[in-house]
Amino acid sequence: MVDLEQYLPILIFLFVAAALSALFVFLPMGVSRLTGAHKPDAEKLSEYECGFPAFEDPRSQFDVKFYLVAISFLLFDLEASFLFPWAVSLEYTGWTGWSAMVIFLGILAVGLAYEWKMGALDWQ
Amino acid sequence: MDYATSFYFTATEIGLSLCGLALLLVAGWQGNKSARMVTIISVAALFGAAIFSIGLFDRATGEVAGRAFGDLYRADAFGSFAKVLIYVAAAAVLIVTPRFFERIDAYRAEYPVLMLFNAVGMGMMVSATDLMTLYIGLEMSSLSSYVLASFLRNDERSSEAGLKYFVLGALASGIILYGVSLVYGFTGSTNYAGIRAAFEASFSTGALFGVVFVLAGLAFKISAVPFHMWTPDVYEGAPTPVTAFFASAPKVAAMGMLLRMAMDPFGGEADAWRQIVIFAALASIVVGALGAIGQQNLKRLLAYSSINNVGFIMIGLAAATPGGVAGALTYLAIYVAMTIGSFTALLMLRAPDGTNLETFADISGLSTKRPALAWSLLALMFSLAGIPPLFGFWGKFVVFQAAVQADLVALAAIGIAASVIGAFYYLKFIKVMFFDEPTREVEATSPVSHWVVLGICVAIMSPLGYLLTVPLGEWTAQAAASFVAAM
Repeated sequence: MVDLEQYLPILIFLFVAAALSALFVFLPMGVSRLTGAHKPDAEKLSEYECGFPAFEDPRSQFDVKFYLVAISFLLFDLEASFLFPWAVSLEYTGWTGWSAMVIFLGILAVGLAYEWKMGALDWQ
Repeated sequence: MDYATSFYFTATEIGLSLCGLALLLVAGWQGNKSARMVTIISVAALFGAAIFSIGLFDRATGEVAGRAFGDLYRADAFGSFAKVLIYVAAAAVLIVTPRFFERIDAYRAEYPVLMLFNAVGMGMMVSATDLMTLYIGLEMSSLSSYVLASFLRNDERSSEAGLKYFVLGALASGIILYGVSLVYGFTGSTNYAGIRAAFEASFSTGALFGVVFVLAGLAFKISAVPFHMWTPDVYEGAPTPVTAFFASAPKVAAMGMLLRMAMDPFGGEADAWRQIVIFAALASIVVGALGAIGQQNLKRLLAYSSINNVGFIMIGLAAATPGGVAGALTYLAIYVAMTIGSFTALLMLRAPDGTNLETFADISGLSTKRPALAWSLLALMFSLAGIPPLFGFWGKFVVFQAAVQADLVALAAIGIAASVIGAFYYLKFIKVMFFDEPTREVEATSPVSHWVVLGICVAIMSPLGYLLTVPLGEWTAQAAASFVAAM
């Protein structure tokens, strides 16, 4: 049988997280309502998200360059997330671990060189 | 652990990867004028990898048994046999590819590079003995396949095929991963030997769910019914050389992966998956045969034909004996030769203005204009239908023999009956080519490289192919024995 008591810290953490996040949402709203001038217009009430209108026709054309950047970002972001555990565990994995990572970085470097040469990094 | 041994056993993958990386840089710096050269080097690399795999075929026995990197990968006789098929099929497709794209000025040096990376992934799929290696190989092969399917990026049908393949392929990968996570959760191991041992100790319902999910995902990859719906659309939309590739090498890889998975980690629980395989086999044979009847597009028809053939290969698997695996491998080898031959013939069919001829109306009366091509297609179609003097019959014979020996007489009987339905549309090919009035102009000559590939395929399919029955029987038996050795 699972001993539920050992999950008590998580339960407390969840309550604290819920309370704090509720506070973060409602406190600024209340403070601004009480202290600032309240003059809403259409622009102020519209949602703001990354510079794009939040609701529009989904079939609109989209520049493929965004995807290229996103994919490159994803790749090198993951590379970095591999590098952290590799770096702290290097004393256990030794030269084997070192050479495996260098091979991995070499493969990524070839990909980056190709991407660079093909002009995928130029934004125009 | 001895790294030199590990590198030796994985040398084909390492070599092809290095070659692919170098050629990628060549493609980047030299541009499309290097496309021919890159293609030739890639074909040479694939043949080199095939020769190396032949060398590994009976060397990977004994104590080490081809185990590399702590049993993540195994280069045994089974893997070597499948890899020879994969590399030769990929090379053959690559030989007939450039002409198709060069006509419309769409050939790029990246094409052969993608094929090389695909071949690396497929080699890993058939040699993986760990669920992690398996998944990496599968994704490596799939991702390059998605790009290949949409290689004509300005062509609407090609883009559609690529997108459809990607969405459904990603779904299948998700299903496999879910099954893998269940199997890992219930056995505590991702290694095939570990899973097998855990299953022998206890086989719970949860583990059964894992096995079912993995099998469903794999059925998707080999386009077995009821997970076949993507096949006709993707095969029709993709450029013809890419379709030829999809129907040959990745089929071998996915089938090899399924055979190893079913016989090695799930081998102790054959009763659990046998019903699923029998259902998928019969459904594939029937749907493949009936679906093809109304088709006018030849690529679509060959897609249904490949679904149909996958059903026959799965009959060998349903037997779950070394004989069944050997039969399935024999059928795969013959199927690859038939498929590449048929698609090469299709690639040679062009109107004088360069458009592709790919419907029944286009090939009517072909025997008067291109007799040699028509007779080659006749041999290939009779062989696909499994009519005795041709070699296609032998493949069907060995799988049915294995099924009967495993007491699956009813399965064999239904399979044979359904193969008669399939004969209808293969015969329709011949009727249209030989007895209908010519309607369209057909280009009079074809490149020598196409004739060579077609000639080799037709020679294997001709009664001369029966000279291969003895060595093919020995090789497949030895390949199937590698599972018994692993047990």
